[in-house]
Amino acid sequence: MAELLRQAWAVARKDLLLEFRTRTAIVSAVVFTALVLTVFNFGRDPTAVSALDLAPTILWVTFTFAAMLALNRAFQLELENQALEGLLVSPLSRTSLYWGKLLANLAFVAVVESVGLPLFVLFFNVPVGRVLLPLVAVIALATVGFVAVGTLFSALVIRTRFAELLLVVLLLPFLVPPLIGAVQVTARLFGDRPLSEAVGYLKLLAAYDIVFVSLASFLFRFTVDE
Amino acid sequence: MPEVPQNAGYLVAAYIVTAVILLGYTLSLYRRSSKG
Amino acid sequence: MSLLHRGRWITLLGLALLAGVYVRALAFTPVERLQGPAQKIYYLHVPAAIWAETAMVLVGLGSIFYLFLKDRRLDRFAAASAEVGTVFAAIVLTTGPIWGKPIWGTWWTWDARLTSTLLLFFLYIGYLLLRGAVRDPALGARYAAVLGICGMCLVPFIHLSVYLFRTLHPQPIILKPSAPSLPGSMLATWLFSLGVFTLLYVGFVIQRYALSLLWEERNGA
Repeated sequence: MAELLRQAWAVARKDLLLEFRTRTAIVSAVVFTALVLTVFNFGRDPTAVSALDLAPTILWVTFTFAAMLALNRAFQLELENQALEGLLVSPLSRTSLYWGKLLANLAFVAVVESVGLPLFVLFFNVPVGRVLLPLVAVIALATVGFVAVGTLFSALVIRTRFAELLLVVLLLPFLVPPLIGAVQVTARLFGDRPLSEAVGYLKLLAAYDIVFVSLASFLFRFTVDE
Repeated sequence: MPEVPQNAGYLVAAYIVTAVILLGYTLSLYRRSSKG
Repeated sequence: MSLLHRGRWITLLGLALLAGVYVRALAFTPVERLQGPAQKIYYLHVPAAIWAETAMVLVGLGSIFYLFLKDRRLDRFAAASAEVGTVFAAIVLTTGPIWGKPIWGTWWTWDARLTSTLLLFFLYIGYLLLRGAVRDPALGARYAAVLGICGMCLVPFIHLSVYLFRTLHPQPIILKPSAPSLPGSMLATWLFSLGVFTLLYVGFVIQRYALSLLWEERNGA
């Protein structure tokens, strides 16, 4: 177990170092998120719809895009640096390879979301002060779900022709259940309603994460073994 | 007693669409196996 | 008789019996008083929905066994079940709105079954796209199996999340279209239709399976 974590951390560290050395990807992702939030502002009629009504939708569509960006950039790195072949030759276990990639992707998305959330609060005047902790928890739960499946699927599409497009097409149906859960819980948090109303959705999110993180981590070896 | 709705047109449409899809797929299978 | 021919005969039998279902449903099954004739769409819509979903579960099961047993036959079966499942999902997604318009007043509604089938349809499309996009057949089979297993595991989550979502948004339902308890004559028609759709699934899958064999032979695999 400790060996798994050590190896995973090594993989994650390599990815993140490559990432932050150039900083292009992370900066672009953050800017993209800010732009999406801006576009949402112009995409609605402020006299007809209150920001608070749309807030959960805006937040989650933005974060979904952010997660997709993170996943796309992840295997651009692979393709450019032929990193994958190098890793496969090494004695790393396939499972720790998955966990390393998952951690790296999560770190990337977390950075983007940490900038995105304050921007969102600023642009749409959403009162999150009291519910910040549960909100962060929900964001974390849903993001883990998105990225767990996305990391696996990135490995599936890496050698196909329209890889980025195919990744989105394959991934979106898998994003719907956690998205439904996340939006509903977020809506209750913003609406200042007790979390007890959202318990079903929270269970959905938790169950999804447990099932798909385990499944993806198990299935990953079939995507990289020759 | 309320009258039975007159919506047989939709019924016919649905049955035709289903038949078209199934026959279309049958044809697709046949053509793909004949010419390859 | 070769596999392909057997599949064709089964399919033809299924289509002939389907004509029987049509006759029975249209002419010899009573009209439901509240919904009118359009209710009879149910006899095609529901069996198609059952097989659209069962086909996905079978894709998943075939995929699991393929990954562990590495038997190409299982992969061919999964590919076949996916394609046939897509066809049945298409039937559900077309007959659904045609049924919905007279009954609910709108072509589309995010009700549990239509929404689930729509997501299922996207899963199928993704699976077929992936199969087509990977050049190496062995690799493609493995990748498709991974996706197939994930797809099968997603199905319960789709149902759960759509159910939760739906109870929030009451549908403009005046009538409940999917009555689980059908009076005798209607039940018989429904069962007959389910049997025919089962036969069609089998016939189509056998043909599609045989097609895979044919393509492999032609490519010298």
